[in-house]
Amino acid sequence: MSEITLRNVIKRYGAVEVVHGIDLDVEEGEFVVLLGPSGCGKTTTLRMVAGLEDVSDGNLSIGETRVNEVAPKDRGVAMVFQNYALYPHMTVRQNMEFALKPLGLSAKEVARRVDEIANMLGLSELMARRPAQLSGGQRQRVAMGRAMVRTPDVFLFDEPLSNLDAKLRTQVRLEIAKLHNRLGTTVLYVTHDQVEAMTLADKIVIMRDGHIEQVGTPEQVYSQPDNMFVATFIGSPPMNMIPAQVRERELQANGLALKVPPRFEGRLAEGQSVTIGIRPNGLSLAGAEMPNAAPARVEVTEYLGNEALLDLRVGPHELIAEVPALGRPAPGTEISVQFDPDAIHLFDTETGASLSR
Amino acid sequence: MKSLRLTAFASAVTITAATMAHAKDFDGVELKMLAIGDTSVTRLAPIVDEFEELTGAKVQIDMFPYPGLIDKIVIEASADSPSYQLMWVDSPWVGVLGESGALEDLTDLVKRDAEEIHLDDILPIQLQENTWQGRLLAFPASGMIWHQNYRKDLYGNADEQAAFKEKYGYDLAPAQTWDQYIDIAEFFTRKAGETLAGEALEKDFYGNAQAYSRVAGAITHDFFPIMRSFGGSYWDPETGLCAMDSEAALAAADVMKRLVAFNPPDYLGLMWDIRTGYMERAEVAQSSYWSVRTVRLTNPEEAVLPTVGEAGYAASPTGDGTAQPTMTGALSFGINSKATDQEKEAAWEFIKWGTSRDMMRRFAEEGSGVSQFYKSILSDPDLQEKYPYYKVLLETQDNARRRIFHPFYADVEEIFGVELNKYMAGETETAEEALANACTKINTRLKVFPEDLRLRWINDAPAEIFN
Amino acid sequence: MAYIRKRNRSIFLIFLLPAILVLFLTTIYPMLYAGYLSFRSYDLAKPFVPRVFVGLSNYQNVLTTGDFLHALKITFQLMAITLSIQLFIGVGLALLVTQRLPGMSIARTLLLIPMMISPVIVGLVWLFLYFPELGYLNYFLSYIGIGPISWITSPDWALWAIAIADIWQWTPFIMMGTAAALTSLSPEPYEAAKIDGNTRWQVFRYVTLPQLKPVLVSLLFLRAIDAFKIYDIIFVLTKGGPGDSTEVLSLYIYRQSFTFWQMGVGAAASFVSLIIIVVLITFFFKSLNRDPMQS
Repeated sequence: MSEITLRNVIKRYGAVEVVHGIDLDVEEGEFVVLLGPSGCGKTTTLRMVAGLEDVSDGNLSIGETRVNEVAPKDRGVAMVFQNYALYPHMTVRQNMEFALKPLGLSAKEVARRVDEIANMLGLSELMARRPAQLSGGQRQRVAMGRAMVRTPDVFLFDEPLSNLDAKLRTQVRLEIAKLHNRLGTTVLYVTHDQVEAMTLADKIVIMRDGHIEQVGTPEQVYSQPDNMFVATFIGSPPMNMIPAQVRERELQANGLALKVPPRFEGRLAEGQSVTIGIRPNGLSLAGAEMPNAAPARVEVTEYLGNEALLDLRVGPHELIAEVPALGRPAPGTEISVQFDPDAIHLFDTETGASLSR
Repeated sequence: MKSLRLTAFASAVTITAATMAHAKDFDGVELKMLAIGDTSVTRLAPIVDEFEELTGAKVQIDMFPYPGLIDKIVIEASADSPSYQLMWVDSPWVGVLGESGALEDLTDLVKRDAEEIHLDDILPIQLQENTWQGRLLAFPASGMIWHQNYRKDLYGNADEQAAFKEKYGYDLAPAQTWDQYIDIAEFFTRKAGETLAGEALEKDFYGNAQAYSRVAGAITHDFFPIMRSFGGSYWDPETGLCAMDSEAALAAADVMKRLVAFNPPDYLGLMWDIRTGYMERAEVAQSSYWSVRTVRLTNPEEAVLPTVGEAGYAASPTGDGTAQPTMTGALSFGINSKATDQEKEAAWEFIKWGTSRDMMRRFAEEGSGVSQFYKSILSDPDLQEKYPYYKVLLETQDNARRRIFHPFYADVEEIFGVELNKYMAGETETAEEALANACTKINTRLKVFPEDLRLRWINDAPAEIFN
Repeated sequence: MAYIRKRNRSIFLIFLLPAILVLFLTTIYPMLYAGYLSFRSYDLAKPFVPRVFVGLSNYQNVLTTGDFLHALKITFQLMAITLSIQLFIGVGLALLVTQRLPGMSIARTLLLIPMMISPVIVGLVWLFLYFPELGYLNYFLSYIGIGPISWITSPDWALWAIAIADIWQWTPFIMMGTAAALTSLSPEPYEAAKIDGNTRWQVFRYVTLPQLKPVLVSLLFLRAIDAFKIYDIIFVLTKGGPGDSTEVLSLYIYRQSFTFWQMGVGAAASFVSLIIIVVLITFFFKSLNRDPMQS
């Protein structure tokens, strides 16, 4: 029995439908990340789960109960907001206490719970401060602490790290991962940052335009993208995409011809329009006479330390290759680039769907 | 144009050849008058062009409501270069304006032009009203008495008469004593639905309407005539201090308090004009007030009463029914003492023109008119028929005394206004307390002055114009 | 200012001079003159009354005759009534008009109108409404069976009548300020409270109100200063009556100065009330502004 279940959930604002009937299962204890570009409906979906937005159609259940009409407070969820949503006039302790007020606990119990969570999050020294006297990371921890004191069944995170600088983000990300390991509570987490998604999630839900594009483990969505959107959205730098046609067991793109990798044998029709997808690390430098190689010209090189990114021009196509930094070619050099057949993805150009399976 | 004006001027000279001996051409002189927006001015204001045609002097009259007018006049009087050459003066103000030297002494001018202005046809008390230490400082434009107005049609109704006689044991007639006045007020106070003179009332009917408002001391304007009708005085003739807490004053406060029950429920807000409005709309049986507005009771265009009933007029009641001097007042025109000589001459010419017997008769014949002060007009049988109150106005002034004229009149008006209003509202327990409070406040201000000065301020020297 | 070079200083002064001059002529000189007057006997209407130095006797007059203290009492009574009701209704209206409901922006605009009207006109409007015999208010009340109320002619009602007119005019001020503050509050803490399950009252009491408090204190402060000076509406409606039931400080000062023409007493009363307002209001608001979370 999954903890959160969405069945054909639709959200409309007036005549405009923004979430188009999505289905999703979040298992108990699972860390699920809703990932997508802005406007994809991920936050709306999260807010529907929280009860901050009404569900226009479909079924939303938490545990075994349909909660479409259940008030937020009765759903057993706690939420951490993008802007922390702390009460600016209250101290850290008061912020946490206020979350417990509806439970009507004894003062002693309130203090016990608050102190326990504060210890866990390393907030004990900060209890008398107001949010304005805290750093961004501290505020984030207080926001989590406030969510945690209520010991909810489900944690909801709405882009919790987006207001932090890059360094802090990594640090807090780790803390969230640790906390989840320790508490084992179900988490539904919204972000537009694929690194967060990849590092935290048990399961990633990739959304676009109010639809779910793919659900899977981080490995699955990275290595087996269901479609061109997922393929390009996951991974940085993004997968190179080259429109091509199947001709005589070759993938012919303008100025480029690649052998159809054996695993696609029999799946392709002669003359079919396909799109070749290959991640930058699927490209390597090679001698001109190697198979599956093509002449290329280095336009720009970006030095990253261990690796370097090469902006290549192959015929009319612009591709990015990731190569060892050592011995990287200089800009303007004419080279030969090799396509690793095992790294090639093929997509139906028309539907965008993967042809891998 | 010039010739036209000359012609007009010449004809005017011809008409009044004998009396207009001093008429000059005041071409280019501009006069401004600081005045009230009441009948003593409103009739005159629209026709000032006629004066310009006669004399060449242009007159502009700025009219303001009574409350606050004295403040404007005082400020004007304290200015070194005046913007108003003519001032409207209520007779109680001559004390403060006279002692300040704000008004031009008209005594010699009046004596000079006595014949032209028919001095001997003016009720002497109306002139006396405008004197300060015997000198005439303003000239009457409207002469008032405080008298009672009543519903003659109701008093004459046989049913009402019988019912009144049965209840009170004497005949229903205009009150001669305040006790009678209160009886009548009580008798006629009826609720909507009750019968009045045989007809069911659509709304409440009140026995009486008096001014109880403290605004601009309105309540004092009714209180003092009643106090005087009990024989009371304003000042102690020995000390020049406040005597308005005497037995007579207490009796007057008592009368007003007893009348409250028979007044409209908003009695504490009744100003002069609101109070007369009740009489004019035929919503009360009787109301006593200054005769400036009495004329409206005869004019169907200005009042409802003449269309549904008839007004009767009588002298004010007194404490015990024996005659007391009638309370008079004068609404007058004065000249700013700081005006130039030429302006003063022109202003005097304007006063003579605007208050002349011909003008007064013209107003009377126009069907509305001011409260008159020429004996010949008040005794004119045709006019008396048209304005029955003329008879009361004329006869009561045989035995009359002038109003308060003390330089501290404004203080008296305001302090008694507030204290009496508080008593009527029930904020002050007793009349003794209210009147004592008021006198204490006034005496506090007066005691800093030497007694001979205080006695001078209450001295009513006979007008020297009659010497 | 150190970076301003010397030769620019004189230009600076030239630019400042008009402001200094206006300030001096319209504020400082009249205040100094009033201070001078308050120690003198000065009767504007009666030049024959000696205009001399009288020491503290004007102050003594003000502080020992009951009238000033009475006016002070009435002023604070009126202030207490109007401020508390304006705060209550103003905050309520602000909560209402900041909801996303149809017609609220129109309501918001309409509610601002009273504030834009001159107090004298407000007085006149309410005079028509309150007018004893012919007033609209009693006319409408008669339809629901409430007998005529002597709004401005009864000592029991007059202060309330003035309070109502003042509340009508100035509640929108509180509303506007509060609404502006409300819309600037971040919505997320409210969502957090909603998920946590705090009741509307708890949220209002512990989240909204404490955050509004600085704004409310400032609004009340401005209103208190205005209320202390209230004059126009009373002058039009009751002129302090009936009796002295609506005689506030500014009317008292006006009467001393322009009815009795005792300019010295009026000046002394002005100074005494200035001191009172400064001391009391500072004290009051200092105490209000203490730590906002004492629950």
